[in-house]
Amino acid sequence: MKVWQFSEQAYHPAFEVPGPMRITLPQHHCDPVEAGRLINRYLDEYVLADELGYNIMINEHHAAATCMSTSCMTTLAILARQTKRARLLALGIPIGNRANPVRVAEEIAMADVISNGRLEVGLVKGAAYEVFMSNRQPVRFMDRYWEAHDLILEALSNTGDNFSWDGEFFNYRAVGLWPRPIQQPMPPIWMTASSAGSAAQQAKLGYVCATFLSGAVARSVFASYRKTYQETHGRPASDDRLGYLGLVSVANDRETAFQRAEQMKAYFTTAARLDPQFRNPAGFASVKDNVRILKAGPNAVRPRLRDGSPLPSNPTIDQYIDAGLMFVGTPDEVFEQISRFHAEVGGFGNLLMMGQAGTLGHAETVENLTLFSREVMPRLAELSVDTPDIRYEAFA
Amino acid sequence: MNSEATNAGTLSGTHFVHVGDVRLELLIKGEGKPVLLLHGMDGVEALTPLIDLLAATHKIYAPSHPGFGGSDLPRSFSTVDDIAYFYLDLLDQLDLRDVLIAGFSFGGWVAAEMLVKNSGRLALAVLGAPFGIETAHRTDRRVLDIFMCDGGTVERKSQVTPVPSHDLATLPEEVLERKVRNAEATMLYGWSPYMCNPKLRHRLHRVTTPTLVLWGEEDAIAPLDFGRDYAALIPQAVFEAIPNCGHRIYVDSPEAAARSIDSFAQRAVAAAA
Repeated sequence: MKVWQFSEQAYHPAFEVPGPMRITLPQHHCDPVEAGRLINRYLDEYVLADELGYNIMINEHHAAATCMSTSCMTTLAILARQTKRARLLALGIPIGNRANPVRVAEEIAMADVISNGRLEVGLVKGAAYEVFMSNRQPVRFMDRYWEAHDLILEALSNTGDNFSWDGEFFNYRAVGLWPRPIQQPMPPIWMTASSAGSAAQQAKLGYVCATFLSGAVARSVFASYRKTYQETHGRPASDDRLGYLGLVSVANDRETAFQRAEQMKAYFTTAARLDPQFRNPAGFASVKDNVRILKAGPNAVRPRLRDGSPLPSNPTIDQYIDAGLMFVGTPDEVFEQISRFHAEVGGFGNLLMMGQAGTLGHAETVENLTLFSREVMPRLAELSVDTPDIRYEAFA
Repeated sequence: MNSEATNAGTLSGTHFVHVGDVRLELLIKGEGKPVLLLHGMDGVEALTPLIDLLAATHKIYAPSHPGFGGSDLPRSFSTVDDIAYFYLDLLDQLDLRDVLIAGFSFGGWVAAEMLVKNSGRLALAVLGAPFGIETAHRTDRRVLDIFMCDGGTVERKSQVTPVPSHDLATLPEEVLERKVRNAEATMLYGWSPYMCNPKLRHRLHRVTTPTLVLWGEEDAIAPLDFGRDYAALIPQAVFEAIPNCGHRIYVDSPEAAARSIDSFAQRAVAAAA
């Protein structure tokens, strides 16, 4: 099992400001000196994660106090030089929102060469509310996304002459990457899924499929991926094709772990602070899905507890653990929680671990990352056997 | 033209016609001179009171714009230009002449785009609080950005008539689907640049059809002074403000609108005689 350290890099002093944390939160609430101090702190924690044997995941959001990384590739360009061993994952680049896909490909190639081929690239649809900052058309958003995807891959993998591109959404006279990426034909591609349908599409393409904080839903996502992967490629998907994102708080005693988890919980409570009109702009979801959402009401999309009931609006840490969104406790307890979840969802080879979240401070984050890397990470190797190809060949 | 069984959510008098590859939902009602009535963001269903009033003396053709209601959304459609050319084709196909074209809100924008392209079949035009010209200049916004407001606020600001409260989840699926399609089509045509075609301002001088511009004095979506500026771009346009009326003229003041339209039409006939 590969473990990836991830933090949303919040400007957490703004959590005290009443009201929404995204889109309309005025920027005068941001003290830029404090923002710089915090971002440097989070980068220090990523550098530590590299030394401790983690891989690294970066995301991006816009106009949000919950996430100061406004560009995956800007953050990763720094870490490409400041880390030595970690694989560097952008999860992800919201390519349907990006104005210029060739610029995306250029940034990928640049970070890949600086890191000597350690980059991994998530190409994501992104959250619906991001269109209010990018101003991209929500209707037919995925058509735009897939054209951007095709163009970026063409640019990354091109070994012939430079080319021109005239599509429905993008037009270029001359596409040529200087530098081009070290990893050929391209760095590993990731996508995110929260439904069986998306997972199946990603399985066909053979990309790594990650699901975020989806609890029991991960089971149907992974099952769909494995089924379609087998049908498409004629062999089982290895666990390294699948990833799950959850929060981890580990300490030598349970009480400390739970105290830290309470601070990390601010991630959930602040991420949800968003005015209703921004949650689902018309056209971003299909007509069919929108009718279903209207019929089902607001509880339909909440994660579920083990007994099937929806996660309540202000859950306890125990309820977050029960739903598979948090793994909290002593090293033994955290290992047991992860292995139980791993078994329940049918296995995955990448744990995308929020080792910092919410208001969790630097010292506590360092302890969390250090203890997990020493006491839990080595044992996770037992969970995933990354060789189903070989087992399959043996049977064939 | 072929009539089809009415589904839940569609109005009586609804037909389906094919124009090119596009299956269009078209409500036809009344007898008399033809009126092409173009609905706003809330679909043809919101026009019912005005349709009933005008149908007493006119033959109303009220289509659901491509993507709205039960009309197809062709993959190639993405701008109001597309709708405007499509309706010019519709007028050709139905061979309608001396048409009174009346459009409200988003539908007023569609009508304006038709008027600058080809007015050969159009005798008179009525634009009710139309969109179409620039709704903002840099940081100065003149027309409320409905996409930045929650649904309840948009409803309350759209009309002075109290908004009935209803639980969406209890509505039949067919009705919900129409609402979802109306919202999606509004987004497609109106998201950016917001509810306008920056070229339209520079084309409105081409309008030769006698035009009446109606505006609600209490319009909280597109304010009255925006309306006066819009009307000033149309040669010889007549501007009438309707008291105690919001953006949805067809909801707040259908009687006043119908009277204004009738009287404008009579004056135009008298002027031509």
